[in-house]
Amino acid sequence: MLTVPVEIFRFKPGQAQRYDTFTVEIAETAHVIDVIDTVWAKHDPTLTFRRACHHSSCGSCAVRINGAEKLPCIVRLTDVWNGRNPIRIEPLRNFPVVSDLLVEVGDFFERMSAASMTITCEAEGFLPLTVDTFAVAGVLPKTVELPDNLSRFNRFEQCIECGICMSACPTMATDNKFIGPAGLAAIYQARHKTDDPTRVKHLLGLADGEHGVWRCHSAFECTEACPQAVDPASKIMALRRELALRRLRKMFGLRI
Amino acid sequence: MIERGEVAFGTTGRNHCLLHSGGRYCVTDQESAIECIDENLILRRIMPDLLELNDGLFVAVTESDLAFKERFLEGCAACHIPAHEVTVARALAMEPFLNPTILAAIQIPDGVFEPFRFCLSFLATALKNGATVRTFTEVTDFVCSDRNPTGVKIRDFRTGKTETIGGDIIVNAAGPWAGEIAAKAGVSVPEVPTAGVMVALDCRLNNMVLNRLNKPSDGDIVVPQRATSVIGTTSWKVEDPDLITIPPEHVERMISQGEKLIPTVRRVPMRAKMAVARPLIAMTGTDARELSRTFECFDHARDGVNGFVTITGGKTTTARAMAERVSDIVCQKLNHKAECRTREVPLTSYRFFFERQNVLKRRALAQLQTSDRPNIGFEERT
Ligand SMILES: Cc1cc2nc3c(=O)[nH]c(=O)nc-3n(C[C@H](O)[C@H](O)[C@H](O)COP(=O)(O)OP(=O)(O)OC[C@H]3O[C@@H](n4cnc5c(N)ncnc54)[C@H](O)[C@@H]3O)c2cc1C
Ligand code: SF4
Ligand code: FES
Repeated sequence: MLTVPVEIFRFKPGQAQRYDTFTVEIAETAHVIDVIDTVWAKHDPTLTFRRACHHSSCGSCAVRINGAEKLPCIVRLTDVWNGRNPIRIEPLRNFPVVSDLLVEVGDFFERMSAASMTITCEAEGFLPLTVDTFAVAGVLPKTVELPDNLSRFNRFEQCIECGICMSACPTMATDNKFIGPAGLAAIYQARHKTDDPTRVKHLLGLADGEHGVWRCHSAFECTEACPQAVDPASKIMALRRELALRRLRKMFGLRI
Repeated sequence: MIERGEVAFGTTGRNHCLLHSGGRYCVTDQESAIECIDENLILRRIMPDLLELNDGLFVAVTESDLAFKERFLEGCAACHIPAHEVTVARALAMEPFLNPTILAAIQIPDGVFEPFRFCLSFLATALKNGATVRTFTEVTDFVCSDRNPTGVKIRDFRTGKTETIGGDIIVNAAGPWAGEIAAKAGVSVPEVPTAGVMVALDCRLNNMVLNRLNKPSDGDIVVPQRATSVIGTTSWKVEDPDLITIPPEHVERMISQGEKLIPTVRRVPMRAKMAVARPLIAMTGTDARELSRTFECFDHARDGVNGFVTITGGKTTTARAMAERVSDIVCQKLNHKAECRTREVPLTSYRFFFERQNVLKRRALAQLQTSDRPNIGFEERT
């Protein structure tokens, strides 16, 4: 068991914001979400925070741990605690704070809706989902033939709509209408799920808008922070390339 | 709907994500197996975009598993669960990481859901149809006339405000906390919070849900979801569902059992581990594993308390059926005639849940002083 000090951002409407420090007794193998849960269950039931799955699938638990955006359900306590100073837990940036660690996600989900992307898709490869599955498993990739009469497997999209990229994005701080990395990545995914010219035009139009891809400063903070390897920055760059190419072709009177 | 945390804050949010075909219970608990396959088919219809539908395999690893095969196939037939045997070669082609020494494999229509969005889409649909959903709000007590509840006292954790709201009928759907809530209303519910541990791996090792072809036991399922495979579960009775300490040996058991299905399991780093409690219905003298996974609705009129109903037990897979049952009872008590439509009506997008709240909040916020609200800007980065 460890005795861990943790400093948590607190705010309730009508009150000044502050940090409360709690000291929790917790197993060395705990994740940061267990620390937050323990504060809530043992010390202060009025602490508001979000979480559901405890395994990086729902995307609801995102906060900042010692200043960096993380999913506390997959961050080990011993990776962020130096054995002395309190671990600092704060809400995401670039979202209005509702109370304590709870932020308002309505605007964010409105952005995610814009591309009306469904969250299931065809599996890209047969297996694995993540590029490094085989590397992690220490097995060499083998090309697997799909058995007869078996359609491709389906998958949930990689993006768990956690908002981490929005919080880490420097452009968000200067343009609060910026669609943002996750929303643009969703537009990219949706665009690659369709050949329908009207839909493609609509999606590319969204990306090309005033608060779209051209706003991005290419800081790549989103890709750095994303816990799901969505790599929104590269998707933003790919959308820019497609838009630029279409413009060029149009200029030269070619079919797009 | 009153929920003390975010949507899916309780057991549902943290479960194993298996859209049961019923295969798991078709020998030991057929009532629950039939509920599962019926609901499995309904959910495919009403939330098609929210499910990973890759089927599941029940595989025989040992001779005793193999000996279970006939009973399993009979059980599936008895519960109308479509099941067919596939050759070991085909199973291995579909699942390259599956233990190559397996003896048999049976394919059944298991699936995978994502519990948070599963709940959000039901609630979004409810919002669209006029429901009021209050999250981060706790029921602290009951208001009663004689012994009959007529309302609840609630506290909103976001604002600290308390209030009392009235109700013609109050439904207790507090999962493993249902006993606690019932006690506040002065009745008892025979419930045993029974925890289970799950271990999520740092990569996905299977396409389909992989189950051991045998009676349910510890660590006998590997559920794949997005970029991970999750091994589960165990089963032990707990006192307080809010603070479950994960016994380290349970984590090791998940790995050592999971390894029998997918040998590479031990080589893969662990992404997360979690535990949560099932709201199982107690039966005297039964072991936690043997408790039925079926659900039960208690009209507390039987305890001499009117206007109060508890719905508990069940699975996330059967959540809709549980809601149907309790709504029927409520309608009957209120003398209201209405057909259940949730079997047919496709659910609203889960995103609507937050979008809708956004509109309402924007309205409410316009009345609040903006200076009250900190917006942690970018410059704050340390
Ligand atoms: C380890 C494990 C794995 C499982 N895996 C699967 C699976 O793969 N597939 C499947 O179909 N099922 C699975 N289940 C079963 C399933 O998760 C549960 O049966 C189901 O989630 C119970 O839902 P519920 O709504 O009854 O309870 P809950 O989801 O717990 O809902 C009750 C809610 O009440 C709230 N509450 C409590 N007290 C108060 C209060 N005073 N005021 C306001 N709100 C309050 C809680 O916060 C909670 O959110 C699993 C269960 C466990 C334990
Ligand atoms: S792109 Fe990554 S960081 Fe952004 S919301 Fe999706 S999962 Fe989260
Ligand atoms: S709790 Fe679901 S992502 Fe962390």
